[in-house]
Amino acid sequence: MTDHTIIRFEQVTKQYDNDPPVLNDVSFEIERGKFYTLLGPSGCGKTTILRLIAGFIEPSKGKIFINGKIVNDVPANKRQVNTVFQDYALFPHLNVYENVAFGLRIKKLKSNEIDRKVKEALRFVNLEGYEKREIKEMSGGQRQRVAIARAIVNEPEVILLDEPLSALDLKLRTEMQYELRELQRRLGITFIFVTHDQEEALAMSDEIFVLNNGNIEQSGTPTDIYDEPINRFVADFIGESNIVPGVMLKDFSVQFAGKTFECVDGGFDPNEAVEIVIRPEDLEITMPENGRLRVHVDSQLFRGVHYEISCNDQDGNEWLVHSTKKAIVGEEIGLTFDPEAIHVMRHGETEEEFDKRLEAYEEGSYEK
Amino acid sequence: MKKLSKLSTVYLIIMFFILYAPILYLMFYSFNSGGTMYHFEGFTLDWYKELFGDSRLLIIVLNTAIIALLSAAISTILGVAGALAIYYARRRRVKNTLLSLNNVLIVSPDVIIGASFLILFTMVGIKLGFISVLLAHIAFSVPIVVIMVLPKIEEMNTSMIYAALDLGASRWDVLTKVVLPYITPGIFAGFFMALTYSLDDFAVTFFVTGNGFTTLSVEIYSLARRGVSLNINALSTLLFIFTMLLVVGYYFITKRNNKPGRMGVR
Amino acid sequence: MKSKSRNFYLIPYVIWIALFVVMPILLVLYYSFFDIDGQLTFDNYKKFFTPVYLKMTFSSFWYAFLITMFTLLVAYPISYLLTKTKHKQLLLLLIILPSWINLLLKAYAFIGIFGTYGAANSFLEVIGIGTKQILFTDFSFIFVSVYIFLPFMILPIFNALDELNPSLVDASNDLGASKWITFKRVIFPLTIDGVKSGCQIVFIPALSLFMLTRLIAGNRVITLGTAIEQHFLVTQDWGMGATIAVFLIIAMVLIMILTGKRKRGIL
Repeated sequence: MTDHTIIRFEQVTKQYDNDPPVLNDVSFEIERGKFYTLLGPSGCGKTTILRLIAGFIEPSKGKIFINGKIVNDVPANKRQVNTVFQDYALFPHLNVYENVAFGLRIKKLKSNEIDRKVKEALRFVNLEGYEKREIKEMSGGQRQRVAIARAIVNEPEVILLDEPLSALDLKLRTEMQYELRELQRRLGITFIFVTHDQEEALAMSDEIFVLNNGNIEQSGTPTDIYDEPINRFVADFIGESNIVPGVMLKDFSVQFAGKTFECVDGGFDPNEAVEIVIRPEDLEITMPENGRLRVHVDSQLFRGVHYEISCNDQDGNEWLVHSTKKAIVGEEIGLTFDPEAIHVMRHGETEEEFDKRLEAYEEGSYEK
Repeated sequence: MKKLSKLSTVYLIIMFFILYAPILYLMFYSFNSGGTMYHFEGFTLDWYKELFGDSRLLIIVLNTAIIALLSAAISTILGVAGALAIYYARRRRVKNTLLSLNNVLIVSPDVIIGASFLILFTMVGIKLGFISVLLAHIAFSVPIVVIMVLPKIEEMNTSMIYAALDLGASRWDVLTKVVLPYITPGIFAGFFMALTYSLDDFAVTFFVTGNGFTTLSVEIYSLARRGVSLNINALSTLLFIFTMLLVVGYYFITKRNNKPGRMGVR
Repeated sequence: MKSKSRNFYLIPYVIWIALFVVMPILLVLYYSFFDIDGQLTFDNYKKFFTPVYLKMTFSSFWYAFLITMFTLLVAYPISYLLTKTKHKQLLLLLIILPSWINLLLKAYAFIGIFGTYGAANSFLEVIGIGTKQILFTDFSFIFVSVYIFLPFMILPIFNALDELNPSLVDASNDLGASKWITFKRVIFPLTIDGVKSGCQIVFIPALSLFMLTRLIAGNRVITLGTAIEQHFLVTQDWGMGATIAVFLIIAMVLIMILTGKRKRGIL
């Protein structure tokens, strides 16, 4: 644990009655001042983590630390964290000003101080002049901002955001992504953001935790997770992937689709069965005779920025290609890619083992 | 969801006890051979035998049932017409006026309804008795049926009606083949509510019933005013069982209606 | 639906409204201007403003107020706790069930329970207080009324609490509010509509139920309802009865306006 750590989970499990645990023996650390995203499909446990941090629920097992102190028994109203709820949870009987002032009034601040802070918070989210509005008069995006203002006005150390953009339409969502990221930089406090939208996670975060079935599958920066997914779930969930079975002949040499390729991964047993990931945008179309793979074009969709081309090789593997070039359905084409585009995944490898192997073979490669 | 604290659970249990104790108390003493409601001497079914041997009481039960069934049936027809009238009212003002007038009898205290109907029947010259009670029951049941049927009509998809018209249905066809089948659960619920309102009514009947005609509620009142008599206990046990059957029936109808069992209070 | 589709459902319905809604109210108003001998007069209204009737009106309101208040005090915690239970719909049904049983039978049960040798007095005997006169007191009247009105108060409050978005409670907690402050600032203000309609459903009958006062309170308590019944069915002074009815209607309308719903957008 470092001085930067603000929240720490130690083997935390959350289980209701005799149902399978919604969160299974999870440990992680959150550092001060960063933008974190908890990413995963619904029911993966991401919201449970948020509610545990907020204090709405208590862990069944394990310890939760905030600022180095165990907070398992500290109720939500005594914690220095604030939440922006998925449905915003704005109080419908109070106007914008009173919603934002709610927390300050409970702290019994002087009214001129409340006034100053509320106005400042509203200015921060670009809602000056909306003080007297009723909540039902506000649009979805505006409500979102009120919810954020209501959280930041209390000057918490951590702000928890529970899928706050999911109710907005696409254009507004993209706008709010920029705004939230910008807001986090200006405030300099920790944001923990929950979403099931991988694009949102990649665009906004310093650090992403990918969750599935109550476990953290992988954590890291957006580029780490995109370029080096640890297993099939992560590769599939983050971006689109071509995943095919292969055999690792030796370090830096892998066999799949009936051919042997040079690659940049190592640290496997000889002839170990592995899975190969190649992102659709890393595949390039050429003439059949120039391709490292020969495939047959099945179908093609125009997606605006690129064509999405679905192909099959002789072994029956499906290959998805994102290309600015057009292919002709029914024809044979060639696919080329760099050795760096091949990412090799070991079956059943955990994040720790993955990190260890990565270190080991990288050291090995220096010795050569 | 957190478990309730001990104190809360105890509070709820006490409240449920208080709610049911009087009813169970009544039923318990209906088997008392002692003839009082405080000293249980021995088990007997005499009070039930007496009840079934009392031909006057049996006629009263029959009267009550006839009034209830007739008034419920007629008020259901009127109520459905009323709900359709409100639904088809095009202008918002007309709609709101109709709705407000509809609700007058629902919120009015029974004494007011009873007294004003008494004046009405006397003025018009209707002899107090079966007819006046029946008319009164129909009158106060109609708005209840409207309230039960209207939401069902309003949740109906209007394009369904247009679809029927588009397929060549006449307005009569639309009513009998589309609208009525769709709102049937609401109509049943309305009928049930009208039935229970009629069976339970005391105050209005008390005002508009003459000397010769009595319903069960009025009879219970005059018996109760004379003090404790275990006949009433036996009667209430039977009524309790009957009410439970009605409620269960109503519950299943609303259940089939696919709405979570949201039940009206009587 | 064009011009030829006249709204013919209106015909029976409007006849019903005219005969049984509008006419009776007008007739009550009309009768209030006649004395017992059938003379046109304002005497009934003058009489209403004499101390005897004003005192009765005041005490009727006072009892109705007490009944409503106690019913609310008992009903709110029940409704709140019900929403927290697992089988809340089933328990709600169980709470409502007694309201379907004939009111007179429940009142009759209390004649037995509160009687000189009834269960309540046996209980007082056991805990050492000794036999008391319970029946025909203010206490018995208010207790039985609260008992009878309880389900009517619980239902609207329960529905309001049930519709309350639970994340609002979380949000209040999150912003530092204790349970009590959350109740005071968030839960209660947001369920006030349920409380209002509950009070409305209880207060108006509490002003006018005459059979309860007769059976449980002896003739100690006289409410507006009892007075109307008395004038119509006992003394046959319909004019005075109608006058009291007019004031009861006015009271009713005022209460409806006072507790009228202003729908707030609940998220």
